[in-house]
Amino acid sequence: MNAKSPAENPSFAHCTFVLEERLVTRFFLLLQQGVKVRRRVGCTVAAFLREELGAGPDTIEKIQSIMLDGKPVDDIGSALIHEGSVLALSAAMPGLVGATLRRGGAYSSLRSAISYHETGEACKTGEGWVCIKLFNQMMAELGPGLLRQGVLVRSPDLTDLLAERAEEFRQGCSAMLDNKALDLGRLEGNRSWAGNDQILLTVTVGPVNV
Amino acid sequence: MDKILRIDVGAGGGPQSKAVPVGDYAGFGGRAMTSAIVSKEVPPLCHPLGAENKLVIAPGLLSGTAGAQSGRISVGGKSPLTGGIKEANSGGQASQVLAKLGYAAIVLEGKPANDDLYKIFINKDGVKITKDNSLKMLPNYDVVAKMKAEYGDAICCISIGPAGEMKMGAATVAFTDMEMRPTRHAGRGGLGAVMGSKNIKVIVLDSTGMPVRPPKDPAKFQDANKRFVDGLKKHPVTGQGLPAFGTNVLTNILNEVGGYPTYNFKQGRFDGASKISGETLAETEKSRGANPTHGCHRGCVIQCSGTYNDKDGHYLTKQPEYETVWAHGGNCGISDMDKIAMMDFLDDNYGIDTIEMGATIAVAMEAGLAKFGDADAAINFIHEVGKGSPLGRILGNGAAMTGKAFGVERVPVVKNQAMPAYDPRAVQGIGVTYATSPMGADHTAGYAVTANVLKVGGDVNALKPEGQVELSRNLQIATAAIDSTGMCLFIAFAVLDQPDTFQALLDMLNSFYGLSLTGDGVTDLGKKVLKMERDFNTRAGFTPQHDRLPEYFKTEKFAPHNVTFAVKDEDLDKVFNW
Repeated sequence: MNAKSPAENPSFAHCTFVLEERLVTRFFLLLQQGVKVRRRVGCTVAAFLREELGAGPDTIEKIQSIMLDGKPVDDIGSALIHEGSVLALSAAMPGLVGATLRRGGAYSSLRSAISYHETGEACKTGEGWVCIKLFNQMMAELGPGLLRQGVLVRSPDLTDLLAERAEEFRQGCSAMLDNKALDLGRLEGNRSWAGNDQILLTVTVGPVNV
Repeated sequence: MDKILRIDVGAGGGPQSKAVPVGDYAGFGGRAMTSAIVSKEVPPLCHPLGAENKLVIAPGLLSGTAGAQSGRISVGGKSPLTGGIKEANSGGQASQVLAKLGYAAIVLEGKPANDDLYKIFINKDGVKITKDNSLKMLPNYDVVAKMKAEYGDAICCISIGPAGEMKMGAATVAFTDMEMRPTRHAGRGGLGAVMGSKNIKVIVLDSTGMPVRPPKDPAKFQDANKRFVDGLKKHPVTGQGLPAFGTNVLTNILNEVGGYPTYNFKQGRFDGASKISGETLAETEKSRGANPTHGCHRGCVIQCSGTYNDKDGHYLTKQPEYETVWAHGGNCGISDMDKIAMMDFLDDNYGIDTIEMGATIAVAMEAGLAKFGDADAAINFIHEVGKGSPLGRILGNGAAMTGKAFGVERVPVVKNQAMPAYDPRAVQGIGVTYATSPMGADHTAGYAVTANVLKVGGDVNALKPEGQVELSRNLQIATAAIDSTGMCLFIAFAVLDQPDTFQALLDMLNSFYGLSLTGDGVTDLGKKVLKMERDFNTRAGFTPQHDRLPEYFKTEKFAPHNVTFAVKDEDLDKVFNW
């Protein structure tokens, strides 16, 4: 991963969580809604998965359905990641439609009306924001790494998540907001952390100092 | 499984049963059995609720054996909803138990002489039919509780709720699961109304003292079953995705590709999708002490079901399926999972098809009877159905009836049956199956086994425009065959990707019956079933014009991709050319 992680980006308030391992999965629900990461753009989906998300060959093999800007991708070697792209990753899904949405699958023609095709438009290279959505098994596969490196989330989404599991989080994690200790008990009702619509979130497993 | 139990509900002095040899129907199971009996014995122009219609309940070819995933049961008849032939299948315990008792089918026939309601008890000693008017208008959970109190813990039940007794077009036939809850339903097409028209409230099965059905070649069967199970467990869908998240794992991905019908099929994305996704559902279930990984019948190794607890940790319903969550969720603009789970429970309890009911509520919302997103109004609509109020009678007869009653044009049905949770404009290939299936709009009609394994009709070039028609044809043939084995359709994923798992399935059938069935034989069976069904529908008055999607799917652009259904009518008419 060559690009600067969002956790190093000074434009957003930065919230860090240190928590017990069992609680990491609670943050996975944010990943299905989409989180932003700042990475190299202008590369192919295959290169992005490999070099920017750190996905190994086994993981890439498990990612059977890939949606770029809401369209199923068949050829990850030619589809390009643009600034502002939305990249959603899923394991193989059940049902005929699940099979239909697999990349390059036998049934891909059944959804040809919505398949992803490069338009030939110029694609800027360099660093840019990309929205990543992780579904199903991909949450556990790629989620911990993304959360550790830092992701940009909508602060109301984070507030809702913490409110839903308030007691569990109070007992099992410690949090800092811009290097100041954060009182998780005072988050409920505050939907705009420090006045920010978006917040940089870093989640790591470690000893909890509650 | 060498006999058929025929019950004449119009016999003098009350229903009379007679076990007869399976005869000409030997070799048929599941959907093949129901469709064979219906197509041969039911006059296609008869009234679905009249004396000439029959309700056929048939276990699969491998039900009652030690074979994994063999517990699906088929229910067939002339559909009160579509007016055509219908097979709806279900999980639950009944298939295994009925097969162990030796019955290849139960057939309810004739017309009751009066309004008395009956229960039927079947065990190794025979059949006992008893009048029991105390069961009238009881919902399914109460019926099962009464049967448990009367017959003990070793039973399973096949029952109808009030919707079936009121002969509604969305009424289901319910089957109890391993915990003896009526959570599994032959849902589509209103077959619960046919059972209601026969005045049979519940069939209680007890296989105590009956052995597992023995294969002709036990060693080969055991080996094939082991290979089959290994294939299911190693596949990422049947071994990982379904056990962890259930079928509702599809919500996020369908929403992402813009194929998730929202607000009565107006758009392809729902803002609240992540609140009702399979991932969120599984996490909620775990946090409330429920189990997100559970089978619907003994012998299931996929374990795609589960239980859903309320906020206080008490059982509310089984883990709602993807189609249920969609129908009552995104399609109605509702993102409160507890309310959706409540609707799932009410549907099960009153005996209503969750897909038809959800689609109907969305049509009612479009008509202005409630606002999209109003979960309490949606719950109230289901109670109206359960009560049988004038409004409930309309809603309980499905989306098409509701659209007519309230003057709504945008009604997503084919042959009067509501479309399931995949928009045919985004995934056009499934639209071909919705349009042409003899069953009406049905996502499971073209579901199983790739052409690349079975090579139905040769290799398909999926890149050709006509590939969608060819694929739909092949999928429908393969699905009809799988439905006839009594195997859970979800085996299709492992079979689709792993030819050795498909071979293991063939080996199970061959070693059990002493056959030498090949992939071609499976194809022939599927074609035979479809031919019988199409023939019945033709004689019932169906024409190519019935094999069409509603007009607005061709003209109304579907966001976010702004696509319309583009498959030509003349191509739809080629689906059954083989």
